[in-house]
Amino acid sequence: MSQQCSGHCHCGKGAEEAESIDTTRRDLLKYMGVAAMAGAMAEADSPEAEAATFKEWFQTHYQLMTDSEKKACIARLEARYSEEYGKHVTVSDAPPLKGVLFGYALNIQKCIGCRTCVHACVQENNQSRYDPEVQWIKVLKMEKGGDSFSEDKREKGYPEHSAIGDHGVQVGGNAYTPAGVSLEDSVRYYDPEKVPEDGSFYFPVQCQQCEKPPCVKTCPVRATFREPNGVVVIDYNWCIGCRMCQLACPYGARRFNWGEPNLPPEEMNPKTHYFGNRPRMRGVMEKCTFCLQRTREGRMPACLEACPVGARKFGNLLDPQSEIRQVLATKRVFRFKEEFNTYPKFFYFVD
Amino acid sequence: MKRSMQFLVAAGVAVAGIAVVILAQGSVAGPAPAKEQQQVVTDCVESRVGYTDITRKEQAVPEYGYPNVKCSPRTHKVWWWGDPFADTIPMGDMPALDPNDKSKGDFAHAVVRPREPHLQYFNMFPDKHCEGCHDGENVPFPKNNIPRELGMHQDIVENALDLQHGRGAIWCLDCHSAKHRNKLVDHRGRLISFNQPQKLCGKCHGQIYADWRRGIHGKRIGSWKTGGKKRWWVCTECHNPHTVQIHRFDPIKPEAPPELPRGMNNADHELKY
Repeated sequence: MSQQCSGHCHCGKGAEEAESIDTTRRDLLKYMGVAAMAGAMAEADSPEAEAATFKEWFQTHYQLMTDSEKKACIARLEARYSEEYGKHVTVSDAPPLKGVLFGYALNIQKCIGCRTCVHACVQENNQSRYDPEVQWIKVLKMEKGGDSFSEDKREKGYPEHSAIGDHGVQVGGNAYTPAGVSLEDSVRYYDPEKVPEDGSFYFPVQCQQCEKPPCVKTCPVRATFREPNGVVVIDYNWCIGCRMCQLACPYGARRFNWGEPNLPPEEMNPKTHYFGNRPRMRGVMEKCTFCLQRTREGRMPACLEACPVGARKFGNLLDPQSEIRQVLATKRVFRFKEEFNTYPKFFYFVD
Repeated sequence: MKRSMQFLVAAGVAVAGIAVVILAQGSVAGPAPAKEQQQVVTDCVESRVGYTDITRKEQAVPEYGYPNVKCSPRTHKVWWWGDPFADTIPMGDMPALDPNDKSKGDFAHAVVRPREPHLQYFNMFPDKHCEGCHDGENVPFPKNNIPRELGMHQDIVENALDLQHGRGAIWCLDCHSAKHRNKLVDHRGRLISFNQPQKLCGKCHGQIYADWRRGIHGKRIGSWKTGGKKRWWVCTECHNPHTVQIHRFDPIKPEAPPELPRGMNNADHELKY
């Protein structure tokens, strides 16, 4: 089964029958559910596959499952993905590591804005490649302060004279060309011949893995939650696609699958995790998970390994010898939108 | 019966209408974004273009069918590592920073990609490297370290009288051994392998070197755990010591920007001024 029928399937003959009898809303809903199931199962070819589809539809929240249910769920997914992508796919459900709190640090002085991390993430995490193109990292280009006050911009930014006057407001030379970390003036679609460009710095943004995540607070079904090692994850099968979390996130870190994801089998990463990079379906949220499937086995996240300048640092915040702790101890560090009290585990620093 | 016929006709009209709408949309938006078959890039570059090449090999991790690297079709930059320890050798011995230096244990599992195989000049002498010519006979050993114009190697150092490193304080033979051209040399005359340039660079750039030792400066991939196996990038895998004054990291071509939202023709809304 490649597509999940979301209840809009044609009920065909059933609809006419339902019209003819005086049904209550409850009966109708029940009927639609059965019809949708019938439609979904019609795509499956064997009774086992039909049973698996039925079970996947009615599985509960992963954290509420018993061990045997979890095992069955993983086996179901592995079988379905392996068939769909034509290779042996593993779905891990490795639990959070004990005594580990993941932290990430990014040196914005080093970042050159080459977007290699963006594509590393896509290679690793099985995002939709096209239509829609889903990327979990966005790299913002911003202007360095020195350039705002350069010769050619010094006289810019004054309010223009209008027929009804200037309202007595004197905004000063550079109020409209703010420098530094200003999201309003960041540029995302830059495409110069070479990066870094003079007078610019780059600011990659991805999920900040907040300690107090607004997305988790707002999720009406608790499909997204924070795990003990500090990573906010999503149970894709439990997500109802209401996109409340996307609204709540101050960092714009969450992505929604508006269409059926387009993931070519040859590009599919067969090493997956239940809460991580397993292929998603239409109508669910997804976001950066610090590459759960890698980091829970001790490997660095894909974006870090791709960064050609070594601007990204990752490690265990509870280990005083770790690289991330060395950064926090010796560098000038800030957190993005600190004023929202989200306590991100993603830090930005400069040398 | 009649009623169902009416229904069918109505449905037919509706379907046709939808088809027209779809066709119209298709003609406006151009052909559907079909997935073009991308060519597999095998000649890849890690960080420093022209100096850190790596070749893609299939089935480097047979368990998952991973190649050693996946590279960008646009820039040939490595953007995904299947095997982070491809073509590596142990980093070798590193002296302790100080008596309390706990990071010394990290070096037990530190690996690097050797730089010495890259010591080639237009593919001459693949095993003798630089000493193929600089053996004292074909090219005599220089007598002193006074800056002069070079007869060759302008592709590496454009103007040897204006070396873009050290702001006039150093010259070629402060780092390159005069008599052992396959080695570097420090200020006390000790020979240093090209695989361990940090031992030389750290002599002047002590602060950066200390940061590099602690894992704050520079790139390393593999395990995030303290003491875990990591591949370290050495100085010259990112920096070009001959032009470092111009660019600390040579500018590179960026990857493609993200797709514009549907219905948007350009990103001019971003440019306010």
